[in-house]
Amino acid sequence: MVNKVWEKRQMAHWLRLLRSGDQRAFGRFIDKYKETVFLCCRRLGLREDEIEDVASDTFLAAYKGLSRYTGQSSLSTWLWSIAYRKAVNYLRKNRRQQLEDEVDEQIVDSRQQEPAAPIETEETERIVWDAVERLPRLWAITVILHYREQKSIADIAKIMDTRENTVKTYLFRARARLKQLLSAAFGADDSGG
Amino acid sequence: MADRLNEDRFDRMLARALQRHSEPAPADFVERMMTAIEQAEQQRILAAVVLQQRLALAATVLFGVITIIAVVFFPAAIAGVFRTITGAVGEQTNMWLDRIPQAVETVRSRWQFYTVLAAVFGFAVYNLMDLLLGDRLQTA
Repeated sequence: MVNKVWEKRQMAHWLRLLRSGDQRAFGRFIDKYKETVFLCCRRLGLREDEIEDVASDTFLAAYKGLSRYTGQSSLSTWLWSIAYRKAVNYLRKNRRQQLEDEVDEQIVDSRQQEPAAPIETEETERIVWDAVERLPRLWAITVILHYREQKSIADIAKIMDTRENTVKTYLFRARARLKQLLSAAFGADDSGG
Repeated sequence: MADRLNEDRFDRMLARALQRHSEPAPADFVERMMTAIEQAEQQRILAAVVLQQRLALAATVLFGVITIIAVVFFPAAIAGVFRTITGAVGEQTNMWLDRIPQAVETVRSRWQFYTVLAAVFGFAVYNLMDLLLGDRLQTA
């Protein structure tokens, strides 16, 4: 409880510094969230040389937009929505890609058995991550936002600028597909090792 | 119930595995980003200064052109303006007091002309002062 109050105060202080244009505070902001932005760009399928451009654009937009940040959503949700928008716009503009088309092509049998519970190791992490990378990009982003970033359905909908029902559908289908992929992977792992 | 438990276990496993993942990012990204931000900030300041300079120059030129046009095409009006001004200020006190209603009437009847003239003149004076005395880099 005390920790939470302390964290809240620290966050408010940090926000004040960021809004006042404190360069060192913004440096810490970039350091804290660079991984998030790179993750968003990579999972949306940008190439390595494009990722850094879009990440830079994202942080520049954040720098310029900080004065307009109202604090209604968390700072990470706000930054995620900028990064997501920048990456999707880049794909649409430079590669004429519509991410929604990819999703419609996937048909999933949702009556999958849960994969055998593995012992959680670095190997599990790698297998899970590989499975997430094989999902359609919008599903992968939804899964990452929900399970890794612990975002609510409403926040994910806000970030992806879509309806909550769409997010729920993506999550449902992604889980089913992940179960398929992980069952196969863990099964193969067990038989192999 | 068992299904629910399995679902929860799957979710927990997924969350833990994903949260442990760390995404690679260039080590010097923060430094490069700070340099880019500094450059963007300098460009913004430079653009503001250039815009201010252009406005000042345009206002000065515009005021000169308007004055010339007014003198060439409306000499009577300009003479009237100066007569009113000098008359209102320079006459004897009792005459000056008498002329106030007349000046007010003159301004009232041609208020659009005076408003534009005052606005352009004010803008030109402001920009000229700014050009000569203003500390432009204060905007930084």
